[in-house]
Amino acid sequence: MMWSIITRKELKDALRDRRALGALLLFPILGPVMIYFMFNMIIDIAEEAGEVSLPVIGAQYASDLIDYLEQNGIEIETVNLNAAANPDSDFYSNAQLEEISVAISSRRFDFVLLIPEKFDELIGASRSSNIELHMESTRTTAAPKIGRVDGLIQAWGRETAALRLIARGVNPAVIAPVNVVRVDTASQQSRVQSILGMVPFFVIMAAFVCGMGVAVDVTAGERERKSLEPLLVNPVPRYTIVIGKWMAAVVFSAVGLVLVMILNFFSLSLVPLEEVGIVFNVGSLEIIGVLVTTLPLALFAPSIQIFVGIFAKSFKDAQAYLSFIMMLPMAPFFFNMLNTQDREFWMNFVPMLGQHMLLTDVVRGETPEIIDFLLAGLSLLFYSLLFVYGASQLMKRERIIFS
Amino acid sequence: MIEVQNLTKSFKDLVAVDGVGFHARNGAITGLLGHNGAGKSTTLRILYGLLKADKGRAMVDGIDVMTEPLKAQAEIGVMTDAHGLNPRLTAREHIEYFARLRKMEKTEIQRRIDELIVTLDMSEIADRRAEGFSQGEKMKVCLSRSLVHDPQNLIMDEPTNGLDVMTTRSVRSILHKLKKDNKCILLSSHIMQEISALCDEIIVIADGKVLMQGTLDELARRTNESDLEEAFMKITRQG
Repeated sequence: MMWSIITRKELKDALRDRRALGALLLFPILGPVMIYFMFNMIIDIAEEAGEVSLPVIGAQYASDLIDYLEQNGIEIETVNLNAAANPDSDFYSNAQLEEISVAISSRRFDFVLLIPEKFDELIGASRSSNIELHMESTRTTAAPKIGRVDGLIQAWGRETAALRLIARGVNPAVIAPVNVVRVDTASQQSRVQSILGMVPFFVIMAAFVCGMGVAVDVTAGERERKSLEPLLVNPVPRYTIVIGKWMAAVVFSAVGLVLVMILNFFSLSLVPLEEVGIVFNVGSLEIIGVLVTTLPLALFAPSIQIFVGIFAKSFKDAQAYLSFIMMLPMAPFFFNMLNTQDREFWMNFVPMLGQHMLLTDVVRGETPEIIDFLLAGLSLLFYSLLFVYGASQLMKRERIIFS
Repeated sequence: MIEVQNLTKSFKDLVAVDGVGFHARNGAITGLLGHNGAGKSTTLRILYGLLKADKGRAMVDGIDVMTEPLKAQAEIGVMTDAHGLNPRLTAREHIEYFARLRKMEKTEIQRRIDELIVTLDMSEIADRRAEGFSQGEKMKVCLSRSLVHDPQNLIMDEPTNGLDVMTTRSVRSILHKLKKDNKCILLSSHIMQEISALCDEIIVIADGKVLMQGTLDELARRTNESDLEEAFMKITRQG
């Protein structure tokens, strides 16, 4: 085939080009590595939140509350202060508070519970007592632990209040007309889901990044080298030339896609996903499905890049134009983030959006409909051919050949 | 054989080629002589099918370039003004690429490339990448790739621009050999010396118009000047 002569030549050239090869090999590694580290971070946080160790000052003053916390899986760590107590007050002295804040800022602990001396006494007398939870709210890793401790203390308070009311012959429901029951469907999982949502983004991005070097070189590069005119002197139709060049970029884009896919699944298989309650089974059927979904992207991304690249007179021009094109893969990602409605039929016909949704389904372990695969793939193929046709038309323009 | 009739081409307001007509026969070297911007390159670009003329006809071996550009292109070899070599490909790969695009047989390609490497004395650079080639070396690669399919017609835009004496001489000897093989060679130049040394037929162009066509002797006779440069000055001043 005539176009394959051009493709082979461009590939030979690209394989000798360190810049194009670099983009092909470096980018696919980036995403999976990021995903791997992000997952491990989340899993670490999840594990830590499970076993909360709570530093307490004055634990002996609130025996009932401390028992309650321990029963609910909080490990109490008694902290003794060195600074002198305030003999005139039943609360802690300024020197002691200073010691606490130093201990937190020096990261001896992230938070600490302060129980005043009269706590049990006040509670026993059916009065209320302050209790202080000292922390630094900017330490996000501690936030889930603090939330847990806070929640348990509140719960204990409600229980105590209920007991007091019962002792006085009042139904506790009197002061608790509404009870909000939170049914947490695992917040860890949803966070994991949002990271999994990045997989399609990286895959679509790979289609754009990996073929770009070649796409630019065979178009704007050819113009910059002034080698387009000698090439067009040969009796070869313009569309054949454009297809040949397109295909060279497609090969790079496709290799990048497959690489990013393999590496993504590899990095996901390294993460102990079951610890955060995610079952991630990838069989050969899923892999085939993902490939069928994404390979049209390797046709589409280079087709735009070739089209834009022909407009550009030089690498510099092309880079400026294509930096806008690189924003395109973000569009379906953001759309999916903001979109609250379900998948609708028309979405299959929006370039990249269809693929994005199919990939999201597959990554979440759902099986999309065959018709969605077909429609999304075929419509993308159609758009690609449109750009290739446009590029062939551009290559007929005298101003593009000779400048 | 190349024939041009009443060729006209404008870029916006600028009339680059204005009713150009001439004839380049087989077995002869025909030279388009003119200042920079006289319309030589535009005429040649119309001939090798990359520009569309507004008016007129351009024929290569009886094939209309305007209506059947690919067929006409198959009959010509072209050496463009810009060499446009790819720094990462070797000399041999450059020639091979164009030979393949012209649908030549594999064995024939190899035979022909080896032949050209010998004729143009390129054995040293044949398998070297084009990055760092001298002007002369680049020129040899370009000439080889325009000749690889052994075309009946050869069009060359400013072929000896910036070449050293050695390369110029080898180019000349190749052109003379092609001429002996009854090929049609059409070249453009603004260098009088080149034109007078090479061309059998000279076409003087200025401001997109053909001012005179004839052999060196005819031009001399009609202008009463033995030196081409003097003759050229006289002709263009009249125009």
